Amino acid sequence: MHAYANPTRFLNIARPLTPWLLGLGLLLLAGGAWAGLTLVPGDYKQGETARILYVHVPAAWLGMGGWTSLAVAGLAQLVWRHPLAGVAARAIAVPGMLFTALCLATGSIWGKPTWGTWWEWDGRMTSMLVLLFLYAGFIALTNGDDAQRQGGSLSRGAAVYALVGAINIPIINRSVVWWNSLHQGPSITLRGSSIDTTLLWPLGLTLLGFSMLFGAIVLMRMRRIIADNRVTARLRRLADEEGSE
Amino acid sequence: MTGVISGGGQWAYVAAAYGLTALLTGAVLWHSWRAMVKAERRSETLRGNRG
Repeated sequence: MHAYANPTRFLNIARPLTPWLLGLGLLLLAGGAWAGLTLVPGDYKQGETARILYVHVPAAWLGMGGWTSLAVAGLAQLVWRHPLAGVAARAIAVPGMLFTALCLATGSIWGKPTWGTWWEWDGRMTSMLVLLFLYAGFIALTNGDDAQRQGGSLSRGAAVYALVGAINIPIINRSVVWWNSLHQGPSITLRGSSIDTTLLWPLGLTLLGFSMLFGAIVLMRMRRIIADNRVTARLRRLADEEGSE
Repeated sequence: MTGVISGGGQWAYVAAAYGLTALLTGAVLWHSWRAMVKAERRSETLRGNRG
């Protein structure tokens, strides 16, 4: 894992990878959205609103996946002091929060015509809202500290916060099983899917497309943090040189 | 099932969900790209100035 601890080595991979992830992601998303909106039929019960599935489900998975990655980065920072762990965690926070917000917003838009309400304080929606607040807290925690913001590192407190916040992930996942609510039960599990393949296949495209976009955004933000760190380090070195003359 | 909307009215909700997703994802993508390009350019310029 420490083979990529060197930012220069990391950038040699990230620079060519960013446009590929971006281009392929946008292409898959366009294909998935087009298929979801025009090729597949509406659901026999929910009608056309079921098409929101193709943006809502990837947003939910990436919101949860984002925090899981953030917790892994926090662990890597705490245990191995990996130099890029803090950079990665800071880069994940904003896209993670974006997809969590999109999951809540698209779910609410889906809920109104289907359930007759925009919002229900049930286990799934409330735990997802908690995730949104966790992201906001993490961003405030890391941006409020100049040393962390300028160095791209993660404080011990922020790393522990990321790990503790991960408790919410299995709660979100199991919420529809533990508490009976308006939200439907799990329709895609490791054992298979209760959604017919006629409706399911565009989800694979949008899921892969959104994941690639998420990866591209994270790489862009990591590259920005690394570039900012280099500028800060160079300016400091220049100031030191001038001071010693 | 009070308040449940069926028929053509459902498309407005679908359009709102897709539109919001495209708008917010596009905004974060654009902001991340611009910030990265600006930061890398600044870093390169500073390195070039040092020779």
